[in-house]
This record gives sequence, C-alpha cells and structure tokens, in this order.
Amino acid sequence: MRRKTLLSVFTCLLVLSIIVGGCTSMENKAIPATSKYPDKPITLIVPFGVGGGTDLVARLLEKNALKYLGQPLVIVNKPGGAGTIGWNEVAGSSDGYTLGMTGVEIILQPLYGQTKYHYLTALDPLAQIAELSIVMVVQDTQPWKDLDELIQYAKKKPGEIKFGHGGMGTTGHVTGEMLAKSADIRLEQVPFQGSAEATASLLGGHIQVLFTNPASVKEHVKNGTVRILAVASEHRLKDPVFANAPTFKEQGLDVVCSSWHGIAAPKDLPVEVKNKLAKGFEAIINDPEFQKNIENLGFEFSYLGPKESQEKWLTENQKLSKTVQATGILDLIKTQKK
Amino acid sequence: MDILNLLLQGVSVSIIPANLLSCIIGVLIGTLVGVLPGIDTVSAIALLLPFSYGMDSTAALIMFAGIYYGSKYGGSTTSILINVPGEAASVVTCLDGYPMGQKGRAGAALAISAIGSFIAGTIGLIGLTLLAPPLAQAALAFGPPEYFSLALVGLILLSKLTGTSTLKSALMAVIGIILSTIGLDSLSGISRFTFGIDELDRGFDLSIIAMGLFGIGEILTAMTHADAKPDIPTVKFRDLYPTKEEWQRSITPMFRGGIVGFLVGLLPGPAATISSFISYGLEKRCSKHPEEFGHGAIEGVAGPESANNSAISATMIPLMSLGLPFCGATAILLSGFMIHGITPGPSLITERPELFWGLIASMYIGNVLLLIINLPLIGVFVQLLKTPLNILMPLVAVVTLTGAYSINNSIFDLIWVIFFGILGFLLQRVGFEPSPLIIGLVLGPELERGLTQGLIICNGDIWAFITRPLAATILSLGAIVILYNFVTWVTKLNNKRKELNVN
Repeated sequence: MRRKTLLSVFTCLLVLSIIVGGCTSMENKAIPATSKYPDKPITLIVPFGVGGGTDLVARLLEKNALKYLGQPLVIVNKPGGAGTIGWNEVAGSSDGYTLGMTGVEIILQPLYGQTKYHYLTALDPLAQIAELSIVMVVQDTQPWKDLDELIQYAKKKPGEIKFGHGGMGTTGHVTGEMLAKSADIRLEQVPFQGSAEATASLLGGHIQVLFTNPASVKEHVKNGTVRILAVASEHRLKDPVFANAPTFKEQGLDVVCSSWHGIAAPKDLPVEVKNKLAKGFEAIINDPEFQKNIENLGFEFSYLGPKESQEKWLTENQKLSKTVQATGILDLIKTQKK
Repeated sequence: MDILNLLLQGVSVSIIPANLLSCIIGVLIGTLVGVLPGIDTVSAIALLLPFSYGMDSTAALIMFAGIYYGSKYGGSTTSILINVPGEAASVVTCLDGYPMGQKGRAGAALAISAIGSFIAGTIGLIGLTLLAPPLAQAALAFGPPEYFSLALVGLILLSKLTGTSTLKSALMAVIGIILSTIGLDSLSGISRFTFGIDELDRGFDLSIIAMGLFGIGEILTAMTHADAKPDIPTVKFRDLYPTKEEWQRSITPMFRGGIVGFLVGLLPGPAATISSFISYGLEKRCSKHPEEFGHGAIEGVAGPESANNSAISATMIPLMSLGLPFCGATAILLSGFMIHGITPGPSLITERPELFWGLIASMYIGNVLLLIINLPLIGVFVQLLKTPLNILMPLVAVVTLTGAYSINNSIFDLIWVIFFGILGFLLQRVGFEPSPLIIGLVLGPELERGLTQGLIICNGDIWAFITRPLAATILSLGAIVILYNFVTWVTKLNNKRKELNVN
C-alpha cells in the first residue's frame, strides 16, 4: 500500500517533469535567404508585461504589419528584469524572425549594472516610434507659482520638499535628480510603483512635487487641481493643455529627459533584411491612423529611421551616463546592489 | 432625482443593440477568462484592444468593462471544482469551496458564489452610481503611512485564517513575506535574493504559487489516495442549488462581503484579492461555527466571492473620476479609454455623461446577464466531478501547467509551479496551511512599500505615523483587536487552570 503510494507520486512527478522538459523550444536556426525574407510570421518581443506602455505601442504596430511587412507580427511578452530578460533573448537570437521593442532602459540598465549583452552594440535600431516627455507638477494648493519660487523655497529649507516618481532609476527619477543638481538644491525622492500611485499621492498631498509623463496628469492640469511648473524637453509640448508650460531650458536650467519607444533587431542580421524591415516599419509607423492612435495614448509621435535612432542611442548614452554619475543615482543604485 | 434621470439616460444608451451585444460579448469572454486558470483579465483585454479600433467607443468600453467584471464571476469555478484558482482573487475560495465540492455540495457552492457575486456587484454599482466623486477624494487621504498601517493590521488579523496553530500560521505568513521580497524591487529597481538568475528578477507571481500550492498539491494528495474508489454522489437536480439552511447562512456574508470589498477596492493594490481574504477573515470571526471554516463552510465561499465583485466596481471609481488606475486590470482599461480618444478624469462625468452613465447602466445589465449565464452552467460544471480521478487529475495537471506557462511565457515558471506543488503536498502532510503564505505574499509588498515611502515622507520618524489621524485610527483598531484576543486567551487559560484545580 505504502509502496504503491510512493510509486504513484513518483510517476506523477516524472510525468510533470517530462511535460516541462518537452516545452523547451527549438530555436536559433540559420539566417534566412534574403530574397524570400520574410516567409513566416515575425516575432516581436515585448520585454515588459501585457498592458504596459511598450506593449500597447507594439500592439498598435500589429494591425498593418501584414500589409507593409508581408507577414504578420506575433507579439510575445517576456517581462522581468526591467526589460533585460526580453532583450537578452532578442540579442541572442539569430533566426532573423525575432525583433524586440526598445526603450530608454536599454541605455539605463547597462549603466546600473552588468547585463548579459551590451545592448547598444548587440542590437541595431530599426525605428523610433514615440517619445514621452517628463513634466514637473505640484498641487495647486502649494504656494509656489513657478519653478523659481520652488527653488528659492528649497534653498531656504533643504530636504523639506519631497518629489515622487514612478520608480528608482526611471526617467522621472533621473529628471528630478537632474533638477536638484543643476539648481543646486536638495530634494528628497519618494519612489512609487508606477505613475498612477505617485499621482494619487500628489493629489492627496502626501508628496509636494511629481515628475511624471504628461498623460497621467493631463486631466488634473485641465481642471486646475495640479499646476505644471516645467517640461523636461527641448521644446514646449504641442498638446494645448501643456502649451503654456515653459521648458526647464527656457527657465535657464539644463534639464532634458524623455523616454521613448522603438524597435530593434539583433546586430548580425544581413543588411538587406534589416533594410527591408526598416522600410516596412517606416510605412507602418507613418500611417496617419497609427499616428492618431499613438497620440490618443498620450505619447508624442516621433519617427526616427535606423540611422537617426542609432545616433540618438549614442548621444543619449553619453548624456545619461554622465547624468546618473553626476547626480549620484548610480552610487545610490550600486550601493544597494551590493 | 437627478442621478436617477441620468441613469435612465444611461440605460437608454446601453440598450442600443450594438451596445447590448458588446455587453453580452464582454461578459461571455469575461466568464471564460475567469474559468480558465492562467489567462488573466489584463492579457484578455490587451489582446482584444486592436480589434476594438473599428468599434464605436461606447460599445468598446462596455465590452472591456464586461470582460473585467465578468472575469471575477467565473474565477471561483475551478477553485471549487478542482482546487485550482482561476483568478488570483479566487484563491481564498479554494479553502472552503473545494471541501464543499468534495462533500457533493459543489453545485451549492457555485450557485452561492454566483448569486453572491450578483448581489455584491450590484451593491458596488450602487456605490459607484451615488458616491463616485466624493469617495475618490476620500481615498486620496490614504497615503503611504496609512497603507502601511492597513497592511500591518491586515497581516496580524488575517494570518490565522485556517488551521489551529497560531505559530504555524505565523511561520507561513513570514515565509510568504520573505518570498515576496525576491525579485526586482519595484521601488528601488534592485534585484534582491535572485542569486544572479535573471528569471528570478520577475519575482513570484501570486497565480504561479497558488496554482502550485493548491492545484498541483491537490493532485499529489489525490495520488496518495489512489486505492480509494472515488465515491461520486449522484447529483439530483434539487441538490444543485443551495438548501434553505445554506441560504440563511450565506445571505449576511454576501452583504458584509459586498461592503468590505467596496471599501478595499477604493485603495491601490490588488484590491479584489485582498478584499476576498479580508472578507474570509471577517466571516470566520463573525461565524457561530468558526471550526467549520476550512472544511466546507458556505460562509467562506459566500463572503469572499461577493467581496471580490464589489471591489471591482469600486476600482472603477478612482479610474473614472480621477483617471488613476490602481491595479493592472484598470490600467489596461484606461488604455482602452485612451485609444478611443477618451481620457477619464474629473471632467469625464460632465463632459461625456452619455458615455459615463451608459457604461454604468451597462454594468447593471451585465451583472444580470452574468447571473443568467452562470446559473445554468452550474449543472454542466458539476458533471465534471463525475469524471474518474485517474482521468480528471492528469487533465487538471495539463490545464494548470498550460495556464502557468501562459502568464509569462516562461518555462522557468513551470518549474516553480511544480516546486510549490510538492511543497504544498508536503506542507499538508505535516499540518501546515498554505493560505497564510499567500496572505504574506500579497500583503508583504504593500507593507514594505508603505513603510519605505512613509518613512521618507515623515523624514525617517516612524512615530510620526501615529500623529496622522487616519494611520493612528487604523493602528489603534489593530491594537484593540490584539489586546482583546490576548485577554480572551488569558481568561481561557485561567479557566482551564481553575478546572484542573477543582478536579
């Protein structure tokens, strides 16, 4: 009886492990003949969870893929490790049918710590699709009418102002630290899990300042519960709600930071294949309906071709690596990583 | 009655054939999402987003909302039938729903959970209709110190949900908290306790652990009873539905669960899951026979299944009146709104009344539809239990593993499901209950986040938490309950001693 029980448990475990073992995929075949490419669906890896910003942009691409690429896009979410799990898979694939969505994290993550690949050299950009600026907002009940008043206050009472952002090392955090550094003031940072929780905390008066993307505070700026002090981009935002908000640069501070979404392929694809893909994505992205959908989601539409994207990667990399070092974000993260 | 007029206008919007049809499609998909383990609301809506471009915006939103609240109806089905939670919010239903099924009362459990879902869903909707803007403002008064206090009190009160040994329960809760710290910390962006394994960065998904501990664990347990002939009671039609006594025991928990769920739903975090645990704890405390809990007490199904549905209605409040999604499912709903050019926020109700009230009216209709869909299905589902165990259990294993894989498309997760399955099996053998582990896993991150953020906000002074009226109230409520428990424990001990002395 007892032996029988043991035996049956053992068999069951064996079966379970066979199921799991059988699931490992057989990937990494040879690079395709370029003339026929693509002759099967293309996988687009989203290194973040379903329903996030990156995922939504990827799903918008899906619609016209068949028309412009000749094959459908299959979207596969591989979340985890702030994007690194998904990008490692893109960088390590060589079948020519695995592409990945990219974001500013492909630059930030290697700065914060050792990653399996150096994404800037292991991947080649095919396109940039959209940008997401960072805005600085305060509750309307706060006394500061503009950025200057806030800076004066912070100089008198260092560390009393607390700013919220959507997570350590994200663009919101980097922008806040950039401001503190360039205005020579001390601001305490409060990390939140995503911009919604941070916005709720601002509205409830638990934090005084918030650095976030425009879309998450737009309605509150519109009805006056939240006041916008500055925009961290080169130019003012086009959206009429934000058009009156000055940039940091206009106010004499060099604070520019934005996140963006793009597509990249592994480095070692044949040039013809890359060109074909880049052309296809250019057509998908520049479709007027696609643009409208991107703007509806609160992104700024901003297409860049492969070459311009590559240049942007390099300049951003230089700028961000300087910033995270100078502001102490890198030290903060490195000491915690130990 | 201004609101009544507006709601009637909403009804006229929602019964336009196209809108009614999308409501039906939405709740059907929602039911399916709820029944199938591993497929969650977020991925279902994300997959359907591209198909909604061509739809009218009101119809599309009615459909997405239907998927969202519909999924919480079906979640209990697999919990009750095969001990595999279909949704994270139905984990707690395994505790009493499955034992009920084993006793041949699966039909009653399914019926009670469907009716409870309907009643509580309607309670939540009434709250949403009447009080949305003021409640949204009230919820903002809760900051990180308050979340910390809530999580702390919750952990203390809830850790002893089932079982007899306080020490064992506390141990499991602590293990749950420890497990919740594994992975990429959402606040600091630091990987913790991952030993350099990239896949561990994702942390432990609640569904993965629940599927393992409950689902696979149950399969292994069933294997050890392989010799026993499965005794399948022939279910008569009359037995499919609750008896009068079961009804009487369930009706108060449904209303209590409805109110608890609604309040929890206003706050950030996995509200539906947390509310179901709170409701379970509450029912056990209020019940006249707490010893039945864990062995098939109907209150343990009625309360939590109601709570998670009214929590859903409540999570719509911060979404629609502030534009703030407090959980993954409302975040994807927000994207659904935005892709149709609608930004929810303070001005939604005044700017797009036909959409706002149409959506709410459709939720009333959807709730009725769900009840109509779910009640006849009970008969079908109960037939499933007639399958001999040697056929049913391998099927359950396949469904569980497929579901677990589909969450993150990761083989690694399957290893964990099996690991936690073996752990669940062993734990049950030595008399540990897995549910406090789940509570630790859910509340652990809330506790840690609230503490970290709260300390920064209060300049590192933890005593400053007590100077905040809300946090102080919550903490002192917790202290009173602990004191009460302690006093009753001491008096019981004294009484026992006296009895011994007399003898």
